Amino acid sequence: MLSRIVLLAQEVPDGRVFALDTQTLISIGIQLLNGIILAVALTFILYRPVKEFMNKRTERFQSKVKEAEAAMARANELMAEYNSKLEAIERDRDKILEEARLKAADESRIILEEARREAYEIKKRSLESVEEDKRRLKEETRSYVVDLASRIAQKYIAERMDAETQDRLFEEVVARLEDAKWQN
Amino acid sequence: MGLNIDNLWVINVAGIEIWITETIFYTWIIMLFLIVIAIIVRIMLRNFKEVPTGIQNLIEAAVESFDNFAINSLGEKLTYISPWFFMVFAFILSSSLFSVFGIRAPTADFATTFALALATFVIMIFIGFKHRKGDYLKSFFSPHPIFFPLNLIGELAKPISLSFRLFGNMLYGTIILTLYYALTPLFVQIGIPALLHAFFDVVFGVLQTYIFVILSLMYVRSAAE
Repeated sequence: MLSRIVLLAQEVPDGRVFALDTQTLISIGIQLLNGIILAVALTFILYRPVKEFMNKRTERFQSKVKEAEAAMARANELMAEYNSKLEAIERDRDKILEEARLKAADESRIILEEARREAYEIKKRSLESVEEDKRRLKEETRSYVVDLASRIAQKYIAERMDAETQDRLFEEVVARLEDAKWQN
Repeated sequence: MGLNIDNLWVINVAGIEIWITETIFYTWIIMLFLIVIAIIVRIMLRNFKEVPTGIQNLIEAAVESFDNFAINSLGEKLTYISPWFFMVFAFILSSSLFSVFGIRAPTADFATTFALALATFVIMIFIGFKHRKGDYLKSFFSPHPIFFPLNLIGELAKPISLSFRLFGNMLYGTIILTLYYALTPLFVQIGIPALLHAFFDVVFGVLQTYIFVILSLMYVRSAAE
């Protein structure tokens, strides 16, 4: 091919570095046409398909990022919902505990009151029983003392005194016994 | 590699003589290379994974980097013209890199650089009228109608300066390398030219590609705002 070019070159005008003539204008036209052909070819074969590929990939990634962001937003919403539920549960628990505490305190107070009242009743009944026993013992003692004194006096009087003196002394003893205080 | 842009064929279309220069021929080779690369990438695209690895990383990085560059330079509303500048970027860069293999860079020919700059100029006018409508025309008479000739020359100067900047920068690398090959003895033509090619073709090539594209994008954006 080179020999063919050389052969042709021998028949054509000599070359030049620079000129402004019709041939230059024709060359400009040819180069412009070449440029247009090359631009069309490169645009439709290389530039646009590669750009479209990259744009589609970018869109895919962006949609994935959006999906991930939406999922994150949903997760955050769920988290907030769970947190609010947990807070509500905490509040309910505190409320129940407080109510139980108050109820227990009330019941405790009531039980204590009842216990105190029962203790008071028991004490009161005990005191009354003691008083009753005291009175009964007092009566029994007095009757016993009276009886004993009467017997002593009777014996003494029977031996030393007449009936009149005996009655006077009996009365005095009884009176003294009545005045005496009970000592346990 | 000589200084002149040689003519390879002369064809006749409807009585008009058309010279097929080596610039045009090498442009076709670069076009073929880029289209084949594009087709390979298109086939590979079917097996592209969600998480890029290996060559997929490189392809995605190239497209994404240029896309971000275009968005930052043009703004979101003008990104529909970025495919054209993607082609310009790929073509000028490939031209520079192909010259490492001894091919004369198509961008070292004024016809190529002016064609690209003319396209930028047409896009600029189109975008200006599309986005600003009457205001774009009014801007030629701003701040006073007397400035119309200056504004018109300023606009027309854009594609001319753009094309000559790229042409001059690519040509001077070609001139220096041609002179080096022509004037130095054979034993220094091994090894050292690799550094010169790396400097003039790769470093300057990448730099000039960036400058041409960024200026074109700026012109288009300024026309739209």
